[in-house]
Amino acid sequence: MLTNRILTLCAWAGPATVVVAMIGWLIAGVLPVPLGSESSIEAVVSFYSHDTRVIAGLVISTIGVSLVFPLIAVIAVYMVRMEGRTPILAFLQLITGAATGVCLLLPLLLMTTIAFRPDRSPELTMTLNDIAWLLFITPIAPFMIQNVAIGVAILNDKRQTLPRWVGYVNFWIAFSFIPDPLAFFFHSGPFAWRGIFIFWLALTTYSVFLIVMGLTLRKAIRESAKPDVSAVNAAAT
Amino acid sequence: MTHPQARVDPDLPEFLWGSEGVRDTVPPAAPRPTKARAGHTPGEAGLWIFILGDMTLFAAILIVFLWDRRSDPVVFEESAHQLIQPIGAVNTLVLVLSSYLVVRATYAHRGGRHPQARRLVAGAVGCAAVFAGLKAFEYYSAISSGHTPSTGTFFTFYFVLTGLHLLHVIVGTALLLVWQAMLKRRRSWTGSQKVAEGIASYWHMVDLLWVAIFTLVYLVSAE
Repeated sequence: MLTNRILTLCAWAGPATVVVAMIGWLIAGVLPVPLGSESSIEAVVSFYSHDTRVIAGLVISTIGVSLVFPLIAVIAVYMVRMEGRTPILAFLQLITGAATGVCLLLPLLLMTTIAFRPDRSPELTMTLNDIAWLLFITPIAPFMIQNVAIGVAILNDKRQTLPRWVGYVNFWIAFSFIPDPLAFFFHSGPFAWRGIFIFWLALTTYSVFLIVMGLTLRKAIRESAKPDVSAVNAAAT
Repeated sequence: MTHPQARVDPDLPEFLWGSEGVRDTVPPAAPRPTKARAGHTPGEAGLWIFILGDMTLFAAILIVFLWDRRSDPVVFEESAHQLIQPIGAVNTLVLVLSSYLVVRATYAHRGGRHPQARRLVAGAVGCAAVFAGLKAFEYYSAISSGHTPSTGTFFTFYFVLTGLHLLHVIVGTALLLVWQAMLKRRRSWTGSQKVAEGIASYWHMVDLLWVAIFTLVYLVSAE
């Protein structure tokens, strides 16, 4: 069935987001060690001076991050099934998911823009880099609302379209993003934007979100396809 | 608009089909087969992913705290002495008491003694309020004597750990009130076991986390 194939493809977009974005960040040099709030002006300027490589990597990562949109769509389809007549949480998930995607895209585009003219005044590069990173790390509320909406919908679903543990995983992921606004207060240490409880924790749990949602939805799509096949067989005989 | 008795229009999304009856024609997915396992998991298995994940995160922050303490034990000791230890100790007792009340409330609910369970849950909510009040006083006195999250590593961790924990107390209080509302509607134990046990487990986690924070931040650092 074509619909199921599209749904499966959208579910796979979740894990693909992680893979493609990581490849892009590795090429650009955002990974393995990103620029931090304590990085010197020289370090920041020299990061962006490798402009072709940085731009190419960041462009790949914007494509990667955008693969979250198909995943959000397939989550929404399944949340509509869970909620029945008034799928308010499904719509909430759509809106906040879209906002999260945009919040991830914009800072990456800003970083690409910094690499566009690397010979500008170093202070400007520094300021733009601060804006890019703080925009990247701190707007957590839409994503947390999205997680809670998904979690509540799963736990309220009598038919258990998705396993209940996925709901609890979503609550845990929402919790793991709470420290992120601390990036505004600290310039070094574990709660600065490059710290383990900010960038690294968020990167880990966001990857867990994309992979868990993608794989459990793929399984649910496969399971929901089975009765249709038996129904067709029954009609044929 | 769809007529109440409208027939299923397969071109419309499922949730726009209209009548109540129509939903019955959607073959309900068979409920997931639950694996029969020996013993009993309080709440449900999935809840423990959240609880253990939550505790892992707190543990990670505490480990980094202890790691950073190694590099500057003297400053950590001086800073820990600035905290008001008696308030921390009283708050520990308050939370342990609240956990005890939650255990008693679980037994009362299971035994169908709803009014008693309601009083016990209300007692636990009261303990949470006392905890939050003392915490607020502690923050007030710390900040007014010039200790803010940015006055050094110790106070960064102090405010982050206790702040995250306070957030858990607030969420836990909201959950206790949900339980209270269930008791008020005299929901039977069989119908509400998962939720009630889940809330109780969450509350015990909040208590356990505080014991770890109090021990490491207030006591060990002051040694």
